[in-house]
Amino acid sequence: MTDGAESAEVETSPDAATARRPRRGLVERYIDSVTDRLGADSLTGKVLRKVFPNHFSFLWGEVALYCFVVLLITGTYLTFFFEGSQQRLVYHGSYRPLEGAEVSAAYESVMRISYDVKGGLLIRQMHHWAALVFIGAIALHMARIFFTGAFRRPREINWVVGVLLLILALAAGFTGYSLPDDLLSGSGLRITQAIILAIPFVGERLTYLIFGGEWPGTDIIGRLYPVHILLIPAAIVALLGVHLALVWRQKHTQFRGPGRTERNVIGLRVWPGFAIKSIGLMFLVAGVITAMGALFHVNAIWLYGPYDVGAATSYSQPDWYIGFLEGSLRLMPPWEIRIGDFMINNLVFSAVLVPGVIFSGLIVVPWIERHFTKDDREHHLLDRPRDAPHRTAAGVASTAFVAVLFVGGAQDIIATTLRVSIGHVTTVLQITAVVLPPIAYFATYRICRALQTRPGPDRTERAGVIVRDAGGGYHEATEREEEEAETAASVGAGE
Amino acid sequence: MTAPGETVRRPNVRAYRAAVVSFVIATAGGIAAAIGYATDNTGDLLGLGLAAALFGIGFGLVCWAKYLDFDEHAVQEREPLVTTPAAREELHEELQTTGAALGRRKLLVGLLGVSFVSLVVGFVGPIGSLGPKPRGERARTPWRAGSRLVSLDGTPIELAATTFDQLVTVFPEGHLGVDDSQVVLLRMPPELLTQRTIDGGSLQGWVAYSKICTHAGCSVGLFGVDNRPPDTLRQLVCPCHQSVFDPLDGAEPHGGPATRSLPQLPLDVDGQGYLIAKGPFDRVVGPVAWNEA
Repeated sequence: MTDGAESAEVETSPDAATARRPRRGLVERYIDSVTDRLGADSLTGKVLRKVFPNHFSFLWGEVALYCFVVLLITGTYLTFFFEGSQQRLVYHGSYRPLEGAEVSAAYESVMRISYDVKGGLLIRQMHHWAALVFIGAIALHMARIFFTGAFRRPREINWVVGVLLLILALAAGFTGYSLPDDLLSGSGLRITQAIILAIPFVGERLTYLIFGGEWPGTDIIGRLYPVHILLIPAAIVALLGVHLALVWRQKHTQFRGPGRTERNVIGLRVWPGFAIKSIGLMFLVAGVITAMGALFHVNAIWLYGPYDVGAATSYSQPDWYIGFLEGSLRLMPPWEIRIGDFMINNLVFSAVLVPGVIFSGLIVVPWIERHFTKDDREHHLLDRPRDAPHRTAAGVASTAFVAVLFVGGAQDIIATTLRVSIGHVTTVLQITAVVLPPIAYFATYRICRALQTRPGPDRTERAGVIVRDAGGGYHEATEREEEEAETAASVGAGE
Repeated sequence: MTAPGETVRRPNVRAYRAAVVSFVIATAGGIAAAIGYATDNTGDLLGLGLAAALFGIGFGLVCWAKYLDFDEHAVQEREPLVTTPAAREELHEELQTTGAALGRRKLLVGLLGVSFVSLVVGFVGPIGSLGPKPRGERARTPWRAGSRLVSLDGTPIELAATTFDQLVTVFPEGHLGVDDSQVVLLRMPPELLTQRTIDGGSLQGWVAYSKICTHAGCSVGLFGVDNRPPDTLRQLVCPCHQSVFDPLDGAEPHGGPATRSLPQLPLDVDGQGYLIAKGPFDRVVGPVAWNEA
């Protein structure tokens, strides 16, 4: 009888403050019981009053985080049904066209989730959509960090952590995409095996270790499964912890604006403003993903059919985030280097070097910029992209290159849609991949310089404040009045 | 608000109403989802109901925050992140003292290092158990001299069949569906075949190539005949990365990223008039490792 015991304690307590309090509600008593054991100072002083600046572009990281929450919840549900096994069996589920077909247990279980588990298709499609949006949100978040220079000192560590998170997210996406053992993802795994095989010296041994022998073997789905549901998510959770802890420790960056300096941070306190909006955003993200799962089919494996070694289909496009790699494979000219018996395979260029350069280039971004700017100072105020024209131009040029690769991944669709030869489309895209980045660099640089001469909005939020003066009249606040008002309003909000 | 010029804030009635509507929609959404599940309408009603519930809660919370006007300009000072020289010095000293104390036992440090190396060596075995050592399996396929060519449903192919310019996927009899033995079989006008193709083992216009793309291993499943003048063009195309091979000329790559031709399977005919293999492939099929070119 906790209740009785507590009220008795209140009656007998000599503590005047406790006795004076009116009877507390359940939530307050619960909070008290926790803070009495952990101390409340750090919670109220540091956590609840921590200030987060407000800008729409700061939401992408949060969107990615909440996609990950959706992924964990829907993914856990799916593990209750999925079978990570390539055991052959005969399909006898509700999907009539496949009746009697020989399929793997993995494929059969995904078909069961889609057709025979009530609501299973919705959860499965939510999971897939969440994965697609997850990586999209990470990419936008990363673009925001890059183009505003938020990766500069002291945030280089967190930039690297972020790139690693992106790579892990891609790995999570690809392993998950491969699990249903359908024709499309099976082709993807086949290509992956060929890429690993092409790695000089260790390739063949490596494929045998990963696939348990020659392609296709019977092990790979069962091995990808724990990697997808345990190893990669655990690594993401760990790095996400570091990522957020670093943001917390170093405090968020902010755009320039009245009162904003390198020494302060202006925005919403965690409680109530930031927390309520952020929790609201979590539900909004989950709501949108649920609606997508309900309305739009994704990865309709019953149309692709089970993986079959002798088959492959036209218009085989992977999930969007692998598109750049697909394009790299398709657009790479037929080059290989032979030195005696030794050969550097075409796939080493297209599937090892290209992504290797892209991702290692991303990791060293802070140091490349430092090399050019010689700027080793701390930065907490963000640049507008136009104010760092070389960085912005380099970012746009790199994005243009990856975008051409992405388009190249669908060159067969372009060719058939435009009724031109695939070879011509490929040639045009190959030239574009080389020519477009420098053009993009130059054009972006010029646009940035031109924009610099224009007066931009020097405030990023809240256009005007109306002030009532002593005489009872109203007028729009002057800048000085407004700053005074802001300073006064925020007294006590500091740590 | 104790601003010198008092700021005026009207209660945001619209936000309040929007929050009310959102939460009502959220409630209705949850109920709709339950009805959807109960009535087997899992396609739309369940999903959209849940979406409405989630979205309604989210939108309601944001509106609520707007109504209460939590938009504030709270100011927080950043504490300096750079360590002071004194603190840095102290840390270095601390590490040096402990480091020196640990490093004094050279033998222990050395042995610890060696034991870590041996630990790694000890784990090589279990990692090796993940897959057998390659022993040239990839260079061998089930194709032997005399293997009968059978299509996917197991029927052998007659030499006399007059199906010109049609791609058939064949396997060696008894090895249907074995990955590395998939073969594309074509019959084309014999006079068009190059000497190289004939030497490779064509038979009265029949040619057989490994179906595994030498680029990245997809099945080369597309065969196209372009009859537009001036020339009739025949192409084998891989649907994954659009490598193009010339079936008349030993399946030489003519476009796309592939650099090596598809290995050709030499053909013969048995006593009953069915196509058989004259021998195995002369090299590794499909994508290759660094030393197999």
